[in-house]
Amino acid sequence: MNKTFQKIFAKAKAENRSCFVAFVTGMDPDYESSKQILIELSKYCSVLEVGVSFNTSTSDSSIIMSANDRAIKSGARTEKIFQLIKEVKSEITSDTAFVTMGYLNQIHVYGIDKYIKDCKKSGVDGCIVVDSNNESPEDELIFKGLTKNDIAFIKLIAPTNDSAYIKQSLKKCSSWVYIVSYAGVTGSKDVNLENVKKLTKMIRKQSNIPIGVGFGVKTLEDVKKVSKLADLVVCGSNIVERIKEGSQNGLSGQNLAHFVSEYVINLAKGVKH
Amino acid sequence: MKIPPFKEINPPDQLGYWTNKKTGEKYGGQYISPLLIPNLKKVEEGFKKAMKNKKFLAGLEEQLINHIGIVTPLLRSKELEDIVGGEKKIGKIFLKRTDLHHDSSHKPVSAFSSVYFAKHILKAKKIITETGASMNARAVASACAKLGLECEVHIGAVDSEKVSLNKDITELYGAKIIECHDSTKTLLPAMAAALRSWQNDPTAMYVVGSVCGPHPYPLMVRTFASIVGRITKIQMKNLTGRLPSTVFAVCGGGSNLNMISYPYYREKSVSIFGIESAGKGISSGKHAATLTSNAPIGILLGARSNVLMNDDGQIDESATEASGLDFSGTGPEICYMHSIGRIKFRATTDKEAQETFLMMCRRTGILPAIEACYVIHAALKEIKKRKNPKENHLIHLCGSGESNVTRMLKYKRENE
Repeated sequence: MNKTFQKIFAKAKAENRSCFVAFVTGMDPDYESSKQILIELSKYCSVLEVGVSFNTSTSDSSIIMSANDRAIKSGARTEKIFQLIKEVKSEITSDTAFVTMGYLNQIHVYGIDKYIKDCKKSGVDGCIVVDSNNESPEDELIFKGLTKNDIAFIKLIAPTNDSAYIKQSLKKCSSWVYIVSYAGVTGSKDVNLENVKKLTKMIRKQSNIPIGVGFGVKTLEDVKKVSKLADLVVCGSNIVERIKEGSQNGLSGQNLAHFVSEYVINLAKGVKH
Repeated sequence: MKIPPFKEINPPDQLGYWTNKKTGEKYGGQYISPLLIPNLKKVEEGFKKAMKNKKFLAGLEEQLINHIGIVTPLLRSKELEDIVGGEKKIGKIFLKRTDLHHDSSHKPVSAFSSVYFAKHILKAKKIITETGASMNARAVASACAKLGLECEVHIGAVDSEKVSLNKDITELYGAKIIECHDSTKTLLPAMAAALRSWQNDPTAMYVVGSVCGPHPYPLMVRTFASIVGRITKIQMKNLTGRLPSTVFAVCGGGSNLNMISYPYYREKSVSIFGIESAGKGISSGKHAATLTSNAPIGILLGARSNVLMNDDGQIDESATEASGLDFSGTGPEICYMHSIGRIKFRATTDKEAQETFLMMCRRTGILPAIEACYVIHAALKEIKKRKNPKENHLIHLCGSGESNVTRMLKYKRENE
């Protein structure tokens, strides 16, 4: 298991809580604001999931797609996201873990080896690659490269996946696995606890790996409920909406960061058992 | 006419890759969120079953013949021969008239087959698809209307705003049209939106408009569509007693090139040409010529293939007068065939295609789809260069130009 995640899980256990994961698209709405948002959120979140924008993503809701557009317009590129994470990490004191979330095309274009090397250099603790199929040759290369560098490969598991697929995915996850709570795109429905229970049971038959749950986690109540079932609770679309709202109201930099964190602080309270 | 059964002569591997053995480069595969993996498995297994199901295949063939009208004429065009020097200099030119299909293009063959497959094999009640110029949407919506399935079409808001006969017909066929406001608001984000919608509704089936997308779509679409190629091969033999020397087809995603050229993949005496849109010229950067411009390999909408993109992996928008060619990638099997040198590529500019459109109207009395004019222009150029009176040339006239009338009339009046 990746060392930062080890620390995070140990701390959460000692404090009798699960871990709160906030998703933001890197450089949304711009580099500096995004940096301030990440610095601010690191105070309240165990994990920060940073989206690497792709203009033709196949699994994101319009909310995330718009954030991708804003980020790309503000100059987001893979290397800039690494730079952003590196700078944020150098300015924070907490043990917050950083995860990149993106699509395979950019990693392929960037170069798989270079991507992994730059993850290491910039202090990335884990990677989610939404469209990296377990059976593809690229997936194997990413898995081997990340494992060698003690970076977590975080696989998504959906309610529609069968046990063979789950088994295949778990083999490649070293730090935690991400349960998608419903069949749909990010933020489009409410969190489905029945699915989470079913999938948790299936995963637990094969592994004791920590489980994260996302998709549809919007309110404090959602966080509380999911927290009882999972080791990590992921909230994305609503935070991204908050960034958009603040930005549209003319906020940027630290002001925008505070506006976003007000919302996140409240949500993150829900992880206490 | 007895249509020979489909024979697999260029299979991908189990994971859906065509691999260039010399370079090791892979084309195809299945790059998609885990949420869609089960949907794709269902389609994959269903497709294998369908291809062994004689009742299904016979039923589909009957519908394709009688409803879509796939046994279209193979027309000898002396007019085109004369334009490039006459039969004595260049041989004979034949036009495969898929513009005469029901719904006026090659699209209804794969669209109807996919919807028929969804109904009879997958027992799906709803079809999700995407569209740019609405040719695919029109064909899918028509098939859904006939077969009694619900039809959901995703269209980019920019494309939707354009006045389009095909879009209006799609609506009349009863499809639910959903505008996509993401990113560039054109075909690519509409495709992504359709895939996301399928993620929301796994009981539906996604129908892709070309030989693109994750495995098994490129394989399935070309297999269904290749019936046109098989028919044409017989027609050619009946008319000339032999195989054609050349086969020319236009290439956006690649479905019409795939459908006509597939039966000749192993016929070494046949030269196959794919024609792309060079838009305003390849050097202008405003084009849709993925292969002619040597676009790099990327991973777009579920498959590994050549893709127009920037150095950060963001997909570049294609640009062409022909909406049917306006796509930033090309189907994986086509990219593979290009990589091994089996299909050669040429590109025609918008201006050249527009001039060819006017020429076709005046000289042949045929109103071709603007898409088909890219191939006719390049084919005539190539045929003239070959200068071989013993050759027979096959050109795929893949659509009718009704929906181009307004723009082309404007072009004619402004340029003459």
